[in-house]
Amino acid sequence: MATPAALPPLPFNPSRVRSYLLRLPLFTRLVLLAIVVFWLLELQTVWSVVQWGSLTPDEIGFGSMYRLNTYPFIHMGFFHAIMNLVALTPLIERFEAEHGTLTAVALFIGPLSTFPAGLYLLVEKFLLHRNTAVVGASVWVFLLLGSEAIRTFKSHPYFSLGTYKIPTWTSPLFACIVVSILVPNTSFLGHMCAILVGYLLGLGYLKVFVPPEKILRWIEGKLNLLGRLPHYVSVDQKTYGRYGVLPTSNTMGDRSTPMSYLGTSQPTIRNLRKNPHFLFVHLPHILSFLCILAGVVWLLLLPLNDYSRRTYISENALLPGQVHAYFSGSEQHIFRGYKKELEGLLPEGIHGEGSERNDVELTPEISDKIQSILRASGLKVATQNYEYTPAGISHRGQNAYAIIQAPRGDATEAIVIVTAWKTADGELNLNGVTLALTLARYFKRWSLWSKDIIFLFTPDSKSGTQAWIDAYHDMQPSSVQPLPLKSGALQGGLVVEYPFDHRFESLHIVYDGVNGQLPNLDLINTAVAIAGGQMGIGANLQEMWDHDDSYEARLQTILRGMVKQGFGYATGAHSSFMPYHIDAITLQTKGDGWQDEMALGRTVESLCRSLNNLLEHLHQSFFFYLLMQTNRFVSIGTYLPSAMLIAGNFTIMAIALWLRTGYYMGSQTHTSAPQDKKEKQPTSQAQSTPADTKPVPKIVERNLALPLSFVIGLHLLGLIPLFIFNNLSYKYLTPATHTFIIADIILPLSLATLLTKAFTPTPQQHLLIKSFSLLLLGLFLSTLATLNFSLSFMIGLLCAPLAFINRIPRTTSAPIRYALSFLGLGVLNLLSPPVVLLGGCWYTGVSVETVLAQAAFGWDVWGMWTQVVVWCVWWPAWVIGCALVGFSLF
Amino acid sequence: MIVLLSFSLFLLVAFSTLTSATSDYHERLVLQPLPQSSLLASFNFRSNTSRDSFDERNYHHFPRALGQILQHTHTEELHLRFTTGRWDAESWGSRPWDGIKEGNTGVELWAWIDAANDEEAFARWLALTQSLSGLFCASMNFIDSTRTTRPVASFSLSGDHSASNNLHLLHGTLPGEVVCTENLTPFLKLLPCKGKAGVASLLDGHKLFDASWQSMSIDVRPICSQPDKCVVQIEQTVDIVLDIERSKRPRDNPIPRPVPNDQLTCDTTKQYHSDDTCYPLEKTADGGWSLNEIFGRTVSGVCPLGVSQSPEETICLRVPNERGVAISDGAVEIRQPDGFSRCYTLQPSSSFDLVMPEQEATTSIPLDEPVLRAERTIVGHGVERGGMRIIFDNPSNTGAADFIYFETLPWFLRPYIHTLQATITGRDGIRRQVPASQIIKETFYRPAIDRERGTQLELACSVPAASTVTLTYDFEKAILRYTEYPPDANRGFNVAPAVIKLGADEHPIYIRTTSLLLPLPTPDFSMPYNVIILTSTVIALAFGSIFNLLVRRFVSVEEAAVLNSQTLKGRLAGKVVLLRDRIKGKTSKVE
Repeated sequence: MATPAALPPLPFNPSRVRSYLLRLPLFTRLVLLAIVVFWLLELQTVWSVVQWGSLTPDEIGFGSMYRLNTYPFIHMGFFHAIMNLVALTPLIERFEAEHGTLTAVALFIGPLSTFPAGLYLLVEKFLLHRNTAVVGASVWVFLLLGSEAIRTFKSHPYFSLGTYKIPTWTSPLFACIVVSILVPNTSFLGHMCAILVGYLLGLGYLKVFVPPEKILRWIEGKLNLLGRLPHYVSVDQKTYGRYGVLPTSNTMGDRSTPMSYLGTSQPTIRNLRKNPHFLFVHLPHILSFLCILAGVVWLLLLPLNDYSRRTYISENALLPGQVHAYFSGSEQHIFRGYKKELEGLLPEGIHGEGSERNDVELTPEISDKIQSILRASGLKVATQNYEYTPAGISHRGQNAYAIIQAPRGDATEAIVIVTAWKTADGELNLNGVTLALTLARYFKRWSLWSKDIIFLFTPDSKSGTQAWIDAYHDMQPSSVQPLPLKSGALQGGLVVEYPFDHRFESLHIVYDGVNGQLPNLDLINTAVAIAGGQMGIGANLQEMWDHDDSYEARLQTILRGMVKQGFGYATGAHSSFMPYHIDAITLQTKGDGWQDEMALGRTVESLCRSLNNLLEHLHQSFFFYLLMQTNRFVSIGTYLPSAMLIAGNFTIMAIALWLRTGYYMGSQTHTSAPQDKKEKQPTSQAQSTPADTKPVPKIVERNLALPLSFVIGLHLLGLIPLFIFNNLSYKYLTPATHTFIIADIILPLSLATLLTKAFTPTPQQHLLIKSFSLLLLGLFLSTLATLNFSLSFMIGLLCAPLAFINRIPRTTSAPIRYALSFLGLGVLNLLSPPVVLLGGCWYTGVSVETVLAQAAFGWDVWGMWTQVVVWCVWWPAWVIGCALVGFSLF
Repeated sequence: MIVLLSFSLFLLVAFSTLTSATSDYHERLVLQPLPQSSLLASFNFRSNTSRDSFDERNYHHFPRALGQILQHTHTEELHLRFTTGRWDAESWGSRPWDGIKEGNTGVELWAWIDAANDEEAFARWLALTQSLSGLFCASMNFIDSTRTTRPVASFSLSGDHSASNNLHLLHGTLPGEVVCTENLTPFLKLLPCKGKAGVASLLDGHKLFDASWQSMSIDVRPICSQPDKCVVQIEQTVDIVLDIERSKRPRDNPIPRPVPNDQLTCDTTKQYHSDDTCYPLEKTADGGWSLNEIFGRTVSGVCPLGVSQSPEETICLRVPNERGVAISDGAVEIRQPDGFSRCYTLQPSSSFDLVMPEQEATTSIPLDEPVLRAERTIVGHGVERGGMRIIFDNPSNTGAADFIYFETLPWFLRPYIHTLQATITGRDGIRRQVPASQIIKETFYRPAIDRERGTQLELACSVPAASTVTLTYDFEKAILRYTEYPPDANRGFNVAPAVIKLGADEHPIYIRTTSLLLPLPTPDFSMPYNVIILTSTVIALAFGSIFNLLVRRFVSVEEAAVLNSQTLKGRLAGKVVLLRDRIKGKTSKVE
């Protein structure tokens, strides 16, 4: 064994199958090709191949005799074709090898297809008076089986099964019976006819149809068929009696045959083995690229009907829209009364609509009024003060909330209805607040509540709910007051936003939570079912106002959802509930239509009734999904492979690099091998003498200390920007970003310089650095994919170049090397985290300061983890990628 | 406390006068309007049987079904409670009967059983719960060892017992039990008049179970006026707080639809008031009501068993004296001197109705301030750990509140008592951490044993005047075996409320917190199973092959030999072979 096997041997040797397929004789090939072609032809719908070519007793006339020849080539569908192909190939190959191509052509075009057909027609039409059409190459399969069986019978007349002796010629009959039992829609009669003709063939009664050898030789000689046709089996080559073997030992024959052809097919495999450069360098790149490609294509396939599902209500207790909502009539007068009362407390001169209206804060007077209205309605009222100061900006306010205690409840469960004074978009939510007040008074009259209902009024949509929900679970920071009044476990949350005075057209359901957590799909489905089915209000998702159910619209909805999920910020007051496993959504009114606040109130009422029905916490339906429309979604099982493939590309590359560093060093060819040897550490010199002549992989020791400490150190270094960006005052955020871009340009280069000067890392260590970096990246991203699919997908795509960049070997001439590495550095710097941030901000028109201040706020208040992924996963991998390119300069 | 006369005291006084009466059966209904258009109706039924005749199985007015159970299980004193809803102390003041006739949400049962030892007592307790379960159509058979405790200081005997008895106190609760009509029917059947006559005829399941708060109790105890003259007394009470407006809704139209526009009471002084804009006005007038409207029927006479002696004041009403009340003919009104209550003596065979017309309220009945407010909640989130937070608020400005705090925790909630911490907040709103020993004077703690018994915690606490004390401790949630999950819909596991006992043994005051819902890690029972199996298989396969690929090196045999010779083992083996060869060589030489 001079050549070590580069890869573990497979139990199933594909090279044998390959060689077997490669040496199939000519006629066999043609038959197989014809079958495949006819199967492909069937895929179109214009012209039915089966009707054209099948052996239909009633259709057989003088003009349609062609059917007697065409029917074996035609199949009903893919599985029929593939089964017959697999069965037929060895048989017909053997026949051709035995009798020569010309004989095979003559027999199979002539008697061997027409005789069984004729027999079948006779029996079917004239004896049975039926009209069953048959197609398929199984007729040849059974025919050849029959002839083989006769030959076996001649050498081994009997099987011995205990004391019984079964004649071997019956074996095709058994096969036929088994097939007709196991496989539906097989023609038992057709197979029997074929076997009968096969017996005749085997017994030699059909010899008369075989063209005389002399004629065959003459044709061969005249046309020089042997020279012209590839894989032609000549009359002289035929191997009569080569197979004096049992049909049961078929596999043996198959296995033994390739041996004679070994010389022709083996070299390609051997070449591959002798070409470790392809195995270790090119193959992983191809695989990685395919993974990324497949991941992206996978995502693009999701909006198709075949890959998505219609939504459905999984929790039967919800019964959405099954109750009549009574919120109407005189309640509207009270709504107007409350609204006038609140409007009277707004500053003078902003009663109309306008942007200055949105600047009205929730003053203590308004809060007191809200509380007094709630108290008058008979609710228990309490307040909570809070203050947060992330990025140097102070957010303070006072939450007011009131509880309707379930009349016969035991304070174990509750539903929350939140109305923020300012909506998520910063608009004045006067109608929403008024509606909540009216609903509180209305709900109080009902005795059917099984859960307490909490009405929460917060000054804003960002921090108020978070302060309240933290304090509800006693997890609040010291700047947030504890709650004086509590109820039981929260089962669901609804946020109501109605920020304008005119009537609305549709409801916009916002559902994304912090860190990409989503509420149970049942809650969204219930809201959609109630709004659309019961109230006749349309529902929208992800700001898709004109969703026409097209592929583009669906894809756009998915992508918008993914962007929100990936950034992981709170999209509304409901988002704060998600970390506590409380399902919540926001209902926003949109458009100018004919739905009034009462319709919104009835929707909320009906939703509360549905939630009130719940016996268990919402758990039935999905928590991981991508919505593409209000009634269509993709579940995690379908979409996850997309991000996993992208994450997997890094892992594949990392493993390939690891193997490569152990077996095979560098991408050099023979010429550069000796030169490279000098660079290498003494570890590989021990057995270098025989290896020099052959380009086979060698065993190399790995030097792990430098790569490991480099990669781990850089990942720890990520904590510094994480800390800086989360704790800087908002004034310095933009300059800090610009500084960081410059630092990002310098850092990899200086690292490369430093390492090269101090340690002179070997090429192996460069590869190991890349391997570890990519291994960690793949590990983090695949784990993240299960938690926040979108973030993993986005980071994976942005990091995709890192799998393909390498240190440019020193053998490349210096100008090209410098040009390439500067180009690479330039491209990579365009994909660095701060540059991507700047680009994103420029594209969306949001200032960098806003985004970063929001991120710091999210880190401080919401517990957002996106920054950690950016600074401790993406950024270190990126720096290492840059440093690898930077190494090329030295 | 500037309270003229507490309602509870009134009840106690009213009945202590009755106790001395010789009649064997008494019944009474006390009605008291509460703020927020609520009405407290307190039903009380009491009958005595002499101990001697009880022992001879001559039960007289005592319900035979219950008497036989008590005798069979040697139960000397029994207290059974069915409760739903929450008493709103903030609006309604202190509890009726000072909370002694009230129980945990669901079913609460405690009894003193005469037995030689603990094992016998527990066996008899099980027999008692099983029998009561059948009698009251409640799941009391689920009170097993994990739900049974033996309180040390929280409950005391209320009857007179002979010293020769070896009494064991056992206590069990079912916080998740839903109290409904199937419990009311057997309850009424224990009454001598079976709810057909007397005030019990008002007890209609439809109205009773529409109440905001409701408590049914049965107390059986022996009372000895002299050492050899004992009676066995059974006292049944039903206390309900009805929402007057809700109860007045007609039965055929119970839906609280929005009222017609002209029936809205609006604040017309608002400048924006118009036909379509209305700021609702709080009602100042007491809404009118009558027994017939509230309970759906009138009192059908009196139960004739109690009438044999002097006529009783069967129905009492606590409203200011100036409040106009119309009553049916024949009934006699007697006003109490305190100016806040009046009682009615009913005609034996005619029905009685009481009508309160709508009237502008001038004075209102002073309500008792509760002596202590207690709130218990579960804090934290996640399925692994949590915390318990108990808040005691002493509203009194003068005296400290001393009480016994008693809680039983199911075994799957494992408290860490060492994390017990106390903070105290004065009226200034500043929280101060204090050592728990400053609040807790004595502790009785009996830790849980998995699947055998729950945790029992009794604390003797003292809360200083005008301050709020918060006790917190952490706990861990156990993972149940999959068969231990209830087969029905799982909303979490109920944790029984805590019982707080204030005051001396003679006149204790009981307060109970609300029950809690403990979400345990609950598998979905089908989906995770499939997912785990699939993912584990995939991970095992992927891990195995990738691990192999990473740690193994595929080399040819020659290389393996070379490599092998470099390892320690290989070298040792080589040495051994060398040594052996030398020895062999030697021996051959010698030969």
